[in-house]
Amino acid sequence: MDKKLYDYILNKEHHKFRKEISLEFDKNMTPIERMTYRFEEMCKAERPVILEGEKIVFIRTVKNIPDIFSEDEWKEIKSKHYIHELGYMSNLSPNYERVIKNGLLKERENADEYGKRSIDATLELVGRYREEAIRIGRTDVAEVLKKVPAYGAETFREALQAFRIIHYSLWLEGNYHNTVGRFDKYVYPYLKADLERGAITEDEAYDLIVDFFLSFNKDSDTYVGVQQGDNGQSMVLGGMDENGNEVFNLLSKMCLKASEELKMIDPKINLRVNKNTPIEVYELGSRLTKAGLGFPQYSNDDIVIDGLKKLGYSEKDARDYVVAACWEFIIPKVGADVANIGALSFPKVVDTVLHRDLKNCNAFDEFENCIKDEIKKSCDEICDNIKDLWFVPSPFMNICMDCDIYTGGKYNNFGIHGSGVATAADSLEVIKKYVFEEKTVTAEELIEAVDSDFEKHSELLPKFRFETPKMGNDIDEVDNLAVKLLDWFADGLEGRKNCRGGVFRAGTGTAMYYLWHANEIGASPDGRRKGEPFGTNFSASLFAKINGPFSVVKSFTKPHYERAINGGPLTLEFHNSMFTDDDCVKKVAMLVKTFIDMGGHQLQLNAVNMEAMKDAQINPEKHKQLVVRIWGWSAYFVELDKEYQDHVMKRQEYIL
Amino acid sequence: MTGTIFDIKEFSLHDGPGARTTVFLKGCPLRCKWCHNPEGLKREKQLMVKIARCKGCGRCFTPCKHPKCQPYKRCVHACPDGLVEICGKEIEAKELAKILMKNTDIFKMNNGGVTISGGEPLMQWEFLEELLDNLDCHTAIETSGYAEGDVFKRIINKVDYVLMDIKLADRDEHKKYTGVHNDKILKNFEILKNSGKEYIIRTPLIPGITDTENNLKAIEKIIGNSKWEKLKYNEMAGVKYPMLGMEYKIDIVR
Repeated sequence: MDKKLYDYILNKEHHKFRKEISLEFDKNMTPIERMTYRFEEMCKAERPVILEGEKIVFIRTVKNIPDIFSEDEWKEIKSKHYIHELGYMSNLSPNYERVIKNGLLKERENADEYGKRSIDATLELVGRYREEAIRIGRTDVAEVLKKVPAYGAETFREALQAFRIIHYSLWLEGNYHNTVGRFDKYVYPYLKADLERGAITEDEAYDLIVDFFLSFNKDSDTYVGVQQGDNGQSMVLGGMDENGNEVFNLLSKMCLKASEELKMIDPKINLRVNKNTPIEVYELGSRLTKAGLGFPQYSNDDIVIDGLKKLGYSEKDARDYVVAACWEFIIPKVGADVANIGALSFPKVVDTVLHRDLKNCNAFDEFENCIKDEIKKSCDEICDNIKDLWFVPSPFMNICMDCDIYTGGKYNNFGIHGSGVATAADSLEVIKKYVFEEKTVTAEELIEAVDSDFEKHSELLPKFRFETPKMGNDIDEVDNLAVKLLDWFADGLEGRKNCRGGVFRAGTGTAMYYLWHANEIGASPDGRRKGEPFGTNFSASLFAKINGPFSVVKSFTKPHYERAINGGPLTLEFHNSMFTDDDCVKKVAMLVKTFIDMGGHQLQLNAVNMEAMKDAQINPEKHKQLVVRIWGWSAYFVELDKEYQDHVMKRQEYIL
Repeated sequence: MTGTIFDIKEFSLHDGPGARTTVFLKGCPLRCKWCHNPEGLKREKQLMVKIARCKGCGRCFTPCKHPKCQPYKRCVHACPDGLVEICGKEIEAKELAKILMKNTDIFKMNNGGVTISGGEPLMQWEFLEELLDNLDCHTAIETSGYAEGDVFKRIINKVDYVLMDIKLADRDEHKKYTGVHNDKILKNFEILKNSGKEYIIRTPLIPGITDTENNLKAIEKIIGNSKWEKLKYNEMAGVKYPMLGMEYKIDIVR
C-alpha cells in the first residue's frame, strides 16, 4: 500500500482543493434541461487534481451540488407528486459492465440529446485531466485516460479507471446511493486476461485494487445520507451467476484483503453465499469481520433468489441480485425498484391495538386477529399514500441503466421496511402470557403501566423486561409470534400494485426507523421504557437476556424470509477481544455458515471495541479511524451525532 | 441427581474444538488469586449484583415474599435494570443434558460439542458423571486436575477431550497462589498422559507469577511434548468481584 497516499486521504489533505459554486437556472428550462445544464457546469467547474502516487485518478474539487429547483418550485412539485427522499432515483445498480466495455463514445450513439451532452461534458473533463497528467509528467495516467472512458477498456487498470470516472459522474449528476454491484463478476475478465498474457502480476493487481478502494473514500464525505457514512457504495462479491455457477474468484479475494488492509468505510462489502459456498470463503469473510468494519454482510442466495422469484423476478435476474445501499436486494442494470420507500412499525401496531381492542378481547386469538387487521390497515395506509411518484430526471444514470428509468425499469417494486419485530413479538408474548393465560395482569393494569412508563405497577417492569420469554432464545412460543407478524406483513402487501406498476415487498430492515418509530410510541408491553430504541435491523430486543449465538441463529432462521425478502439482516455483535487467533476466526466462519445453512437470509456481524468508543467520546482526535456499524452502513464513530454514538454503545451493554 | 451450575455459554470459543456450548459447574477447591470466575468458587448459591450500573433506586431492598429471595434479604425480581440475580442454579443432570443437547445439530455441522467447565467440575463428579452419561455428542472437560486419582480417571474415560491446567510447577508456589499443593494435579497429569485421551495443557500467563521463565521451563519439563497453550492474562479478571461483594486482591505487575 502507498502509505503516503493513504495518510494524505486519511488526513483529508485533498480537501484543500475544494471550492463551492453557485448556479442559476432559467425558470423556463425543463427539469431534464436543468439537470443536463448543471452537469455540464459541474464538469466545467471541476479542476483536475492528480495526487502523488495515485494510479486511479479523479477527485472532487467542487464540494456542493446546487439544487436545480428553488424552495418554491420544490413546494409546487411536492404538492403534485410523491417525492421520495431527495427526489432522485437512488439505490440503483448501474450497468458498469457495459459502459466500461463499450466506452462512452459508443454509448453516445444510443443516447438521447441530454445523454449526449452529458457524455461530452464528462469527456471534456477527462481531456483536461489528461492534459494535467502530461503537464506533471504522469504519462502512465495520460495513456490510460487517452483510452478510457471514451473507448472500451481492455486492461485491468483501464477497467478500474473507467469505473472510477463513471461512478464519479453519477455522483456529480446528483444521484446518490450509487451501488457498485457485482464487481468481481464484471471486472474479473480484465484481470484474468492481463494475468494470462503476463501484462500484470498478482501483486501489481492487488496494489491497483488498494488504490481503487482508496478512491471510494476520497469524496464520500460529500455524499452524506442520514449520517456521514451512509453513502451507498455497496460492493457485492461472490454468489452464483445467471447459470448457477460460482462467481467467487481471485478478484473477490483481493477485494476482501484490500478492505481488511485499508480499514476504511468504503466500499461496503457484501458477500453472497449459498449452500455450496466452501467454508474457506466464510473464513476469508470472518477475517474481514475481525478488522472491525462491520463487513462483510452476508446474503443467502438460496433464500433471496427464491424469494425474488416469488415476487415475480425472472430466475436469471434473481440470480444476478445485488445489495442496495444498506441491505435491500435489487436487480442490477434493469431494476428500478424503490427499495426503501416506507416502513411499518410493528410496535406501533401493537400499541394501537393494545389501547383500542385489548379490553374487548376475550382470548388471545381475538387479540391476534386485531393485530393482523391493524397490520393490513397500516400496509394499506402506507401503500395508498404513495402515488404520483416523481423523480428528478438523470440523463447520465439513464445511459448507465439497461432500461429507461424515466418510464420505469423492468422491475418497479417498492420495498417497505418492518421495524421492531422483536419488540412487538416480545410485547405480544407479555400480553398472551399474563393477560390471557395466567390472568395475573388485567388489560387495564397493563395499559396503565405502559402509559405511565411503568411508574404505575412498577413491579411489572422487571417481570416483563427480564423474566418473560424473549425472541432470540429459540423459544418457539415467542419466536412464532415474530414469524406470524412477518407473515401478516407479507399478506398485507400481497396483491397490491404500486403507482409505477410494480408490487410491494415486505422487509426486515429498519434503517433510521429503529429510532424514529421508537419515539412515536411510549413504553411497550415488553418492558421497553419510553425513549428506548428498538433493535437495529432484525435483531433481538436490546435488553433481552439472550442465551447466546446458537439460540439467536435458531430463532432468526424461523421466519419465512422468502415472503419478506426486501432485506434487513440479523445483526450479531461480538467484542473484538474474542477474535484472539485464527481459530476464533474459523469458528466465527462456522457460525455464519450455520446461519446460512439453516435458512437465514442475511447476516451482519460486528466486532466492537467498547473501550475505544468510550475513549473516542472524550478524545475524538485519537480515534479518527474507529469504525462502527450503524444500520446498513459503517461509519467513523467520531463523525456521528451523539444520539447514534450512544445507541451503538447501548447495544454493547447486552453483548452476546 | 442434582448439581449446581452458574452459567451456560453458547459458542464458547476457547473451550475445545469446533462450535461448542460450555456449562460451568459451581464450586472449586482452588483459590487462584487471579481467578476471573469468582462466582465459580463457592459451591453454594450467591447473590450477584451488577453494582456498576446500579442507580440506587433501592427497590431491591423493599421486603418481598418470594421464597428464593429470603436468604439474601434482597428481592431479585425488583430491579428495573435486571442487575440483581442469584448466581447458581440447581438442576437435574438429565435436564441439563437435554438443554445442552438442544444444539447438537449445530455441533454436528461444526465438529463441536459440549464442554464442562467451572469452578472445578470434578468437585461435583457424581453429577458430572451422570451428565456425561446423558450427553450424546462430543464432550470436553476443563479441569484444574485437582481431584482424587480414581475420580479423575473415571471422568476422563467418559469425555472425548481434556483441557487441563498446569499453572505452577513449584509445589510451594502453587500452594501460595492457588491455595493447594500441586501433587494431585501432577499425578493426574501422568494419568492423563497415559490415558490415550486427546488433551491439551494450558497455563494462564499471570504477570510475574506464572509467566516467569523458571516456571514455564519447569512446566515444559513436566509436560514434555504434550500440546500446550499459554493463555494471556485476562485484563478484565477483576470485574466480577465487586458484584459478589468480594475483593480482587492480586497485584499484577505489568
